[in-house]
Amino acid sequence: MTLVQVKNVTKQYANGEETITPLNEVNLEVHQGDFLSLMGASGSGKSTLLNMIAGIDEVTSGEILVEGTDITKLSRGKLADWRASHVGYIFQTHNLIPVLTAYENVEMPLLLLKMSAAERRKRVEIALEAVNLTDRATHYPRQMSGGQEQRVGIARAIVASPTLVVADEPTGNLDDETTEQILELLQRVNNELGMTLLMVTHDIEASEIAKRQIRLERGKLTERQAGSAKSTVTAA
Amino acid sequence: MKTLPWEYGVRNLFRRPTRTALTLVGLTTVILLIFVVVAFIRGLEASLAASGDEDVVLVYALSSGADIENSSIPARTPALLAASLDGIQRRFDVQHISPEVYLGTRITVAGTDKKGLGLVRGVTTAAPLVRSKMQIVEGEWPGPGEVLAGKLAHSKLGCREEALSVGSTVTFDGREWRISGRFTAAGSAFESELWCPLQDMQTALKRQDLSLVAVKMAPGGSLADVEMFCSERLDLELKAVPEAQYYASLQQHYKPVRLLGWVVVWLIAGAGVFAGLNTMYGAVVGRVRELSTLQAMGFRRRAITMSLIQEAVLLSVGGSLIAALVAFLLVNGTAVRFTMGAFALRVDSLAVVIGCGTGLVLGLLGAVPPAMKAMRVTVVEGIKAV
Repeated sequence: MTLVQVKNVTKQYANGEETITPLNEVNLEVHQGDFLSLMGASGSGKSTLLNMIAGIDEVTSGEILVEGTDITKLSRGKLADWRASHVGYIFQTHNLIPVLTAYENVEMPLLLLKMSAAERRKRVEIALEAVNLTDRATHYPRQMSGGQEQRVGIARAIVASPTLVVADEPTGNLDDETTEQILELLQRVNNELGMTLLMVTHDIEASEIAKRQIRLERGKLTERQAGSAKSTVTAA
Repeated sequence: MKTLPWEYGVRNLFRRPTRTALTLVGLTTVILLIFVVVAFIRGLEASLAASGDEDVVLVYALSSGADIENSSIPARTPALLAASLDGIQRRFDVQHISPEVYLGTRITVAGTDKKGLGLVRGVTTAAPLVRSKMQIVEGEWPGPGEVLAGKLAHSKLGCREEALSVGSTVTFDGREWRISGRFTAAGSAFESELWCPLQDMQTALKRQDLSLVAVKMAPGGSLADVEMFCSERLDLELKAVPEAQYYASLQQHYKPVRLLGWVVVWLIAGAGVFAGLNTMYGAVVGRVRELSTLQAMGFRRRAITMSLIQEAVLLSVGGSLIAALVAFLLVNGTAVRFTMGAFALRVDSLAVVIGCGTGLVLGLLGAVPPAMKAMRVTVVEGIKAV
């Protein structure tokens, strides 16, 4: 089942008198349960595409349909509401709220949804258990390591069971050992919880854990099937 | 719209304790200064308002302008008024007419070498009949060579309150006077005066005349009757002014002082807003990434703005409460000298409303522009901000 349809999306920036076009008439389909990695050189527009699909950046032209809703047409307020119930975002720099404990950080997205306190508690506990941080629930971000912080970030992204989990360089700030743990965790999120994942990375090894690997070059997408060298242009 | 949890705003205040504490001290100081200025204005207004009685008419010299101190009227004026007017308040066959000598003079308090400028009123036992708010709170009515000290007389003289306790002495016009008692007068200007027997004062001053006659009118008695008397007795050169009007004119006299007070309130509040703005800009600039993360999660800009305002308002409310407490404990009732006597600073309900209200406005004005600035940063830029 197609979850996300990116249709003829173009993104342009003005840089003085020059116009930069990192994405030019891009098309992409993401299916339910996909784990998709987006690779490309710095400035290739991979994070921009991810942010547009996550509803935090605007397209210059084109459409992005998520479960049939064209999110490019939503107002700022409606888009915020849509993000609350449809997107879980994993940041490169974790972006935890420093004054809140791990438990409270994970609980934050649930405060935006209609849910009883008991249901919230249950979901937070499950999410923290999924990232193996139950014993750190009362710890503040400053009391945790980078890897633990990122696991809290993952728990926060999945706690509301979003339609889509997006991760922008989730291992970019981590050492090799922790990177491995986080990638394993993301694989579990996809395989065991059945969540659809979009991950931006510049790390080839990291990208290989994804089911689909997309490369962005000169504003165009090419897909490399896992385990083969075959390239496909993903025009819808 | 879903708002951010209350705890988020509260805990943010403790994120940088030193900065929060300094901001709190700054806000408290600003609000306390506003309390002091408002208490000054309110105290001055209350003192002058309480001094005028609607039923009392002051009769004094036509030539003295608006200043009773310079007035000199014949000693027979009270008797002539009593004989000529029907509308004077009368009880047990005693007419409520108070002949008085009013004088500003140098007074030395026993135990000090310093001479203070004090206000002395020579009165008879009719004075309390006319000045109905006057009440002896300690000691007794002054006999020969004695004075009754008003509650704030010490402030006017610039000495400690104990220096004017019953039994102490003061010296003026070459005579030593024993303090026989103390009186209050409902916060009016009389409280900063010393009252002594009229005859003793006239003897000490070698004066036969009076400064004024205060007449209490009976219900139905008219000012017009007193004015008529003054205009018919041209030989006496008198004028009649309702006491309330007399003090109202003095209020006008102090209008620039009050106006200046309000200007000071505005200036202090303005400085407070800039201090608050500076603090909040500093607090918000360091949190751009966090605020953008909240937006990425799905919190609306308005909810985040409200949370930032909540933080600033919590701080300003804290400052307001501390300032109000300090104002009640240390400022309220503090005596202040002014040319007409002394008055007590008054932290009344209006002062609380203005002081705490200004504090609240400081919080709001200090938070809104930085919050709006932070919300102008796009989420994409913000989540990667350092």
